[in-house]
Amino acid sequence: MKYLSDLILKLGKVDRRWIFVIIALVVLLPLFFPVGLPIRPTDSTQTAYNAIDSLEPESKVLVSFEYGPSTKPEIHPMTFAVLRHLFKNDQKVYITCLWPDGQFMAEDAVEQIMENEFQLTYGEDYVLLGFRPGNEAVVKGIVSNMRKLYTTDARGNLIDEIQMMEGVNKLADFDFIFSASAGYPGTVEWVQYGADPTGIPMSTGVTSIQVNEVMPYVQSGQVNGILAGMPGAAEYEALVGKPGIGTSGMDAQSIAHLVIVLFIVFGNVAFFIERQRQKKY
Amino acid sequence: MLWKRQIPILIVTVVGLLTLFGWFIENETIEAFVNDDATQWYDILASFAIILGALNLLKLQGRKIIKKQQGWFYSLFAIGGFIFAMIAGFIIKGSETVNWGAHVTSKGTLFKWMFEFMFTPLSATMFALLAFFVASASYRAFRIRNFEATLLLVSGIIIMLGRVPLGSSISSWFVMYVLVLIAGIAVNVKFGNKIFTFGTVLAGVVIVTIAGMLTGWPIDQPGIFYLPILQEWIYNNPNVAGARAIMIGIGLGIFATSIRYILGIEKSYIGE
Repeated sequence: MKYLSDLILKLGKVDRRWIFVIIALVVLLPLFFPVGLPIRPTDSTQTAYNAIDSLEPESKVLVSFEYGPSTKPEIHPMTFAVLRHLFKNDQKVYITCLWPDGQFMAEDAVEQIMENEFQLTYGEDYVLLGFRPGNEAVVKGIVSNMRKLYTTDARGNLIDEIQMMEGVNKLADFDFIFSASAGYPGTVEWVQYGADPTGIPMSTGVTSIQVNEVMPYVQSGQVNGILAGMPGAAEYEALVGKPGIGTSGMDAQSIAHLVIVLFIVFGNVAFFIERQRQKKY
Repeated sequence: MLWKRQIPILIVTVVGLLTLFGWFIENETIEAFVNDDATQWYDILASFAIILGALNLLKLQGRKIIKKQQGWFYSLFAIGGFIFAMIAGFIIKGSETVNWGAHVTSKGTLFKWMFEFMFTPLSATMFALLAFFVASASYRAFRIRNFEATLLLVSGIIIMLGRVPLGSSISSWFVMYVLVLIAGIAVNVKFGNKIFTFGTVLAGVVIVTIAGMLTGWPIDQPGIFYLPILQEWIYNNPNVAGARAIMIGIGLGIFATSIRYILGIEKSYIGE
């Protein structure tokens, strides 16, 4: 018994570089050798899915990109899944970006989903309005008169000449808002300045760390469901019926979480043994 | 003094009052100001702030290099990166077929190359490093020192496992067996009696096993021991309560600060 507790204490002082190696392995290995763990949609993901699924065909949906390369692995898969769902149901998509790097993420989504996967027509099925500086002021601008804010789209086309912009002058002209957000400005600003004053229903996909901040709005019904981090993306992919990056990342995330939990438990056992010995002597 | 003090305070007070009352007064001119003009002014001012920010960056990093302060060579990268981004944005497009403006996000341009092959991998790397530091820090710092720390630790473990598919594969009966073992450890620590400990563990195992056999071992029943259900409860109840309290606190703070600005009590923006 003493040998075991000595061993645990010794391991408790292990160099942190060993921990880094273990984490690297548990993240990498499942990516190469997927386990295929079952994915169970949570209520919040199901609510978001139902809200989007219940939209009439050809509804005008505003999708806002508020994330960059650092949070791309978490948010990009859910944006892809939502866009797939929208186009499968023949919706019209209008893309805005509150973050400058959001426009690059939007361009990537346009290329992969709209152009390669669905072969849609720009200006008829979707439009990329692009980034405007000003954070929540941009949301307010879209609420009051988006034609003042956007005279051209991200490709330099005049807004007045874009077919699907006909009759779209302000946020109230849309049927739904989806915010793919990794922080400020993002979901909270869309709720406070966009969805609440106009009554337009909205849903969101956020990073895991942001869920706490957005959850009160979900519970009050101001936001229809939430896609929470990469698990939310995987759940939405399962609901749409097309597994993607979110699903393949779930094995790695599951095992990494388990290993971190084991680290915590192990660290506490070592701490407990040390404290008992201190009391004894 | 009039230009530096009284007039800026007057502008802030008038604009603040207009914006505040714009929500309550039904007047087209005021509404148009609040909804359109004020937001466009904000956009224009924000654009100028970017220029000021860029100049400040150059000044601070440049001073560091000139004075050879600690870590001055990192400043070389900061200034080098800034100059490269300026060139890619304003001087060299890198593609003749793309128009100025659209070159920022179009394929084949220098700016897009910079974003894809410099900015994206660098920011992804910085964020990915978090996984390693979180693992290392949780191993060393997440300790059961008192009741609050234990509560945080248990909630953290439930959220971490309950959020991922692995959590939904862990049967509530397995969790119950683990709890029985933890109860055994607690009894042993409290009483230091082997018979007590053995009795507690045996009784727990028997009760859980009989209950499981009677109900047919459903993976998600009883719900209070099923990790995904537990984590959703934590998200929807204690978490939302805490988040709401913080939000209300922040809201009141913003209100109080805004009133201070409007009344001219808060004057930090003019350097007082």
